[in-house]
Amino acid sequence: MSEPEVRPSRYGRVMTALLRATLRVDVAINRIVPSDYNPLYYTGGLANLFLLVLVLSGIFLFFYYEASLEGAFASVRYLTQTVPYGGLLRGVHRYAADAFLVAILLHLFRNWFTDRYLFSRDNPWISGMILLLFAGLIGFTGYQLVWDERGQVLTALFVRILRSLPGVGPAVADLFLGGPGVSDGTLVRVLFLHIGPASALYLLLWWHYLRLRHPKIWPPAAWVLFCVGLVFLLAGLIPVGAEAIPPAAPAARPTRFALDVFFLWPFWLLNWLPPAGVAVLGAVVFTAGLAIPYLGRRESPQALGVRHAGVAQVIDGNCTGCELCYYDCPYNAIIMVPSPRPGLTKAAANRTLLAVVVESRCVECGICIGACPFEALELPALLERDVLAQVAEAVRA
Amino acid sequence: MRGAYLAGIAALSAVAVAAAAGIVYGEATDRWYLGGSLVGVLLIAYAGIVLLLRKAGLIGPRKAER
Repeated sequence: MSEPEVRPSRYGRVMTALLRATLRVDVAINRIVPSDYNPLYYTGGLANLFLLVLVLSGIFLFFYYEASLEGAFASVRYLTQTVPYGGLLRGVHRYAADAFLVAILLHLFRNWFTDRYLFSRDNPWISGMILLLFAGLIGFTGYQLVWDERGQVLTALFVRILRSLPGVGPAVADLFLGGPGVSDGTLVRVLFLHIGPASALYLLLWWHYLRLRHPKIWPPAAWVLFCVGLVFLLAGLIPVGAEAIPPAAPAARPTRFALDVFFLWPFWLLNWLPPAGVAVLGAVVFTAGLAIPYLGRRESPQALGVRHAGVAQVIDGNCTGCELCYYDCPYNAIIMVPSPRPGLTKAAANRTLLAVVVESRCVECGICIGACPFEALELPALLERDVLAQVAEAVRA
Repeated sequence: MRGAYLAGIAALSAVAVAAAAGIVYGEATDRWYLGGSLVGVLLIAYAGIVLLLRKAGLIGPRKAER
């Protein structure tokens, strides 16, 4: 008896169309550059590259920055106009920040459209969303640090958003300001909120990679050179200091300022939404992002038949102790122990090690089965012959 | 096709040499933004050279991709 046909949801059809579009873009780029140089395969690595550029240029800028109401703008102006290559490196920092966010968003959408967030890959997705949130906060505080009229307005708007939070709003706003109003302590806090989360990004990256065995953390040399070259070129051609925004002043009431579409778009929304609306919208978008791995799957786990298959089992007689499964398991769910006896097959007769599955870590992903050339691993409820039968049936259909 | 790649590499090498000369000029005349822009041009030219070397089959693929 054939199973009833399951019609995909509208979400599923949209995601399938996006998957096809993504793959078409891949194919088009692979026609131009060798596939191992396709930049879309290294969006995470590109984000890492820009983060390193940000850290190195940020260390340089930090040497000259003075976190006080009187000194902040003057120190930035001194750095930009007087220090050799200071303005250039400020531009490098600025453009690398934008490129960092673009790379993160490309990484996010690519992994979303290609289903690389489902099931046991929810861990990098969740950590990635938090990385994105931190990146946004770091970028926003960077604009405040300059303490020009834009930084002053951003701070005032941010405080309004904080105060609109129900219950804790006023207390959080006072904590951010370091008192009832803006003071030197505010800029010290902003500086901490810029550098602290930036340092935490590397801790989050460790979490991001925790369950990935072979993450591509660095792009090919050609793209390293191109991306670093591009930020230098932009920094030289479109100097950041050319915006000529006046320093912050208590009496200043600017009504317009240049907006960075990558980092400052929530403030643009304040043209139409109340502060509480922006806070709620941000919370909803972030929560929806966190929920993506658990909502609206294109196919259910049951339909895919990859869950509840029982943890992987080692077929003792076939295991040669080659360690391939041990190296391939992203979850560290396989350990190698001294073999208590030889295996049954010829290949396993002289083994010294035996693979053992740590049941509490196994997510039944089946990677170890693909890694083993000796048919020494199985998912009990999804045997190889069953998979082959399913593939054969799908091919016939 | 390989001849075209090698011609491209030669052209980009010339661009890189010109950019290097420009960096020295920018440094000597305190035109820091000019020097910085040309650092970018130099690196982008290098990127193009590496890409063309790969397309010509003279380097790569990356060790991780073999």
